[in-house]
Order: sequence, then C-alpha cells, then structure tokens
Amino acid sequence: MLQAIDLVKRYGPVLALDGFSLSVAAGEIVGLVGHNGAGKTTFVEIVSYLIRQDGGHVTIDGRPPSASRGRVGVAPQHIALYPSVTVREHLTLFGKLAGLRRAALDGAVEELTVALRMGAFIDRRTAGLSGGQQRRVQAATALINRPGLLLLDEPTAGADLETREAMLDVVKQRAGDGAAVVYTTHYLPELVELQATIAVARNGKIIARGTYDELVDGLPGEVRLIHDNEEEVRVSTTQPAATLIDLLGRAERPISTIEVHNPSLDDLYRSLAVSDAP
Amino acid sequence: MLLDTGYRAGPAATLRESLYRIRALASNNTLIRLRDPGQTISYVVMPMVLMLVLKPLYVRAVEGGTTKVVTGLLVMFSVFAISIAGNAILAERTWKTWDRLRVSRAPAAELLIGKTLPIYVVMVAQQTILLVYGCLVIGLPIPGNVPLVLGAILLWAFTLLAIGALLAAVVRSHGELSVITDVGALTLSSLGGALVPLSLMPEWAQVAAQASPGYWALQMLQAAVVGDTAGVLLPAAILLGIALVCGVFAIRRLTRGWGRGGLL
Ligand SMILES: Nc1ncnc2c1ncn2[C@@H]1O[C@H](COP(=O)(O)OP(=O)(O)O)[C@@H](O)[C@H]1O
Ligand SMILES: [Mg+2]
Repeated sequence: MLQAIDLVKRYGPVLALDGFSLSVAAGEIVGLVGHNGAGKTTFVEIVSYLIRQDGGHVTIDGRPPSASRGRVGVAPQHIALYPSVTVREHLTLFGKLAGLRRAALDGAVEELTVALRMGAFIDRRTAGLSGGQQRRVQAATALINRPGLLLLDEPTAGADLETREAMLDVVKQRAGDGAAVVYTTHYLPELVELQATIAVARNGKIIARGTYDELVDGLPGEVRLIHDNEEEVRVSTTQPAATLIDLLGRAERPISTIEVHNPSLDDLYRSLAVSDAP
Repeated sequence: MLLDTGYRAGPAATLRESLYRIRALASNNTLIRLRDPGQTISYVVMPMVLMLVLKPLYVRAVEGGTTKVVTGLLVMFSVFAISIAGNAILAERTWKTWDRLRVSRAPAAELLIGKTLPIYVVMVAQQTILLVYGCLVIGLPIPGNVPLVLGAILLWAFTLLAIGALLAAVVRSHGELSVITDVGALTLSSLGGALVPLSLMPEWAQVAAQASPGYWALQMLQAAVVGDTAGVLLPAAILLGIALVCGVFAIRRLTRGWGRGGLL
C-alpha cells in the first residue's frame, strides 16, 4: 500500500531524512518509533504531500502522493482544530471534504462518536476540550472517510487512559478492515497491544524493522529492589522472574519496593546503538 | 469494508463535487466569522458614528461635503477591514488547520474560494451598509446608477480581499499583521483623502495620494455615487491591477504552504 524508498529531505545543513525507506502493506500496522528529531514527522509530511522530498520516491497504492489527495488520513503530531467549531461540525467538514453525503456522512459521524467515545462532548467547541479529547477529535477527522492509508503521528501524546484505549481499539479495527497504518509513538506497550511491526528511525533512516519478538524479546529488562533503609539494588536481566526470586532469596534486610521493568523503547534504542557500532 | 468514495467520472459530477466541498468550507468559515463578530461590528459602527460627528465640518469645509464624508469614511474603514481578511487567513496558519485542509481532497483553488467567499460577503456588506446609512441618515443623495455603485463596491472589496490575503500569507504573527493593517490603513487611507478632503491637504500630499489604493477607491466611489461612469473606469482599472497582482502572489504562497516554518 505505502512504499517509500531512499527518501532524502534537507533543511539547510540538517538532514531530516537521509535514505529513509519504509513500506507498509494493507492491513499492517507499522509502529514508527525513534528519538525526537529522528525524522518521523518529516516522513509523514512527505507522504501526505505537505512537503516535497529532495530525493527518493513514495508511492501510495502505486500513485505518487500528489495524486493521492484525500486517500490518506492524517492525524498530525500537533493538534490542529478550529477552536470555535464543535466536534460534530469538525467531523461534518472533514467528511464532506472527503465526499461523504447524507446517510453515509451521518453514519460515519455516529460510528466514530461511539468508537472514540466522544458522545459526551460531541456538540462542544474544541477550545474547551481536554488534551485527550482533542486528540480523539483530531484522529476522528483523519478516520472519517475510512482511508486506505492512515498516518497517525503520536496520536496518544499526552493522552489519558480512556483516549489511549479508544484509539488503540479503533486503529486495530481499521487495520483489520484492511487499512495500512503508520503509527508513531514513544510508548512500546501500545505497539505490543496493536501487534504492530516496529520500525526504528534514527538520524533520518530506518535502522531496524521487525516484530516485537524479533526486536525486543530477549533484550534485558530491569529488576529494582529498595530496602527499608533506602538502599537500592538494580539488576539488568533478560529473565526478570528468576532474577527477582534470586534477589529476594539473598536479601538481608526487609524490602520496601519491588519494580520489574520489561524492556522499553530506550532499551531497544540502546541495543541498536551498540549492535551497529563498529 | 473500507469505503473509498472515489472520484466519480464526468465534468458535471466533478463540478458538483467541487461545489459540495466549497460549500462545506464556506459554511465552516461562516460559522467561525459569526462566532467572533467583534471586529466586523466595530468596523461598521465606528464609521457610522464618525460620519455623524464629522459631517458639519465637511459640509462647511468643502463642496459636496456630504458625499465626501460618507465615501471618505467608507473607504477608510473598508481599508481597516483588510485585517478581517488577514486575520481569518492567518488564523488557519496559527491553528495549523490550513495543512489539514491541504491534505484533503479539495484542491487549493477550492480551499481559497471556500475561505475567502464569506470574508468577501462581509466586506461587501460592510460597505453596502455604510452607503445605505449614508443615504438614510447622513443625507447622501440616493445614487442614480445603483449597479455602478454596486460594481464599484464589489471591485473595491475584491481588491481589499486580495491585499489582505497577501498580507496574511507573508506575515509571521497576528501582531505583525495588525501593525501593518492599522498603521498602513490609517496612512494609506488618510493620504488617499479619506479622512481630510484632498483639496485641503498640502500639495505634496495630493501628489503622493496617487500611490494609495485608498485614493483610487475614493475616486471610483465618488464617481460612482454621482453616476459618472467614465470617471469610474480609470480608478477601477488601477484597482483591478492591484488586486490581481496581490491575489496571484497570495494564491501562490498559500498553495505552497509553510510546513513547520514561517511563524514567529
Ligand atoms: N521546517 C523545518 N525546518 C527546519 N528543520 C526542520 C523542519 N522540520 C523538521 N526539521 C528538522 O528535521 C529533523 C527531523 O524532525 P522530525 O521529522 O520532526 O523528527 P521526529 O518527528 O522524529 O521527532 C529535526 O532535526 C528537525 O529539527
Ligand atoms: Mg515528530
């Protein structure tokens, strides 16, 4: 569905994209992760034809982005809504711009209102909504016409639990219906939940791509114990359960806190930085 | 099922879809205007008050004082109304919504028409209300050639809209925009003879006036209200030229977008 090959984008001396290649199949969710400045948003902007690349190609269903207007649902990283316009009016506007009429439009608005749990504030102006509610509205405007390609740029940034759950449910459902999804995030557990393929961007390139099992399983997590005298023990381990039992067995003082961390995105970034070093 | 509504074939269907999108955009922009009408109201009420207060002065100072006070203040406050157009377009940049629209199925021309149509209506309404008020309250003789007056208003509003769109496309903040529109409007319109009748101004100012669109608007409107079709033509041509140049630059800039840069 989406194919990007060797994209290059320069901003003066900054190479925002430096040979960025990524393809996403219909029905696939690709979790695009990477540090701030890795080039994720720039990639989204090129695919949505907001900016032009300096090199490389993109095709969406075989067409260039210039010929794909209206076929891509984009939820940008930053909230971009009309403050004095209500949620329903937003959905109507974007639905109509996508060509939806009457019953189809009403149906799409109704479906998203339920799916993204927006019923309580559907007739309120967006200026008065919480950050999480605005996130849902923004995603809804991108989803309204069921586009075959979804670009969701940090759709859960600063979102509450309800927003996160609703968002993940809808994204899973749309991918199940056959949409190709690019989902950028800083939270690894979301990608586990979405059963997404993970693509790691760094310095304008994709440096690793694979399933959670391929990339993250087997990376060390961390077990952390704090004794009643504030003394702290941290152990990096690929087998947290065994390590925890071992540590507890050897503890000489009462323990006040136990924490077990699964590997995080930072652990993944660290492992990639080490493994591709000369 | 993924429902891609697709493009329907045929020019008639294409046109119908295009009009449908323009209507959606225009009604969204109308909503936004109606929910924040303050600026528009003040640019209608202020000149009404000033016409009333300044009329005796004009009548005593110059021949045709009533016409001059009505057309002068109409031009001055219509120039101020550039900021309505400018702010409305700039807001799409600061809200980042312009890029959301650019991603939609609507091509740039539709976005621009949908955006500017409601503002154009506001500008034409402002001038029409002021002219009617001028006739009913200030005592301006009712123009003999109403279509000529209407044509002049339509053209002048179009020129203002183009200037406003251009400003909105090049400034980096609402602050910059208001400096340019407020100071610019006052300077250009008073230099153009909208505040003090030209005949009372120093000679250099009367020459410099011709550089101001306000001057040409005033010439055009004053000729139009007395039914002088020939007198309308030159100023109308000059204003149309200004409008087209500004409009083309604005359209090119707005079509390209700004990405993440461009704002303070
Ligand atoms: N409009 C722009 N002007 C200058 N530099 C930019 C612009 N957009 C992005 N960049 C730079 O490109 C790089 C990639 O940014 P971005 O795509 O936003 O990364 P990410 O979304 O992964 O955090 C960064 O170094 C950023 O500063
Ligand atoms: Mg980003």
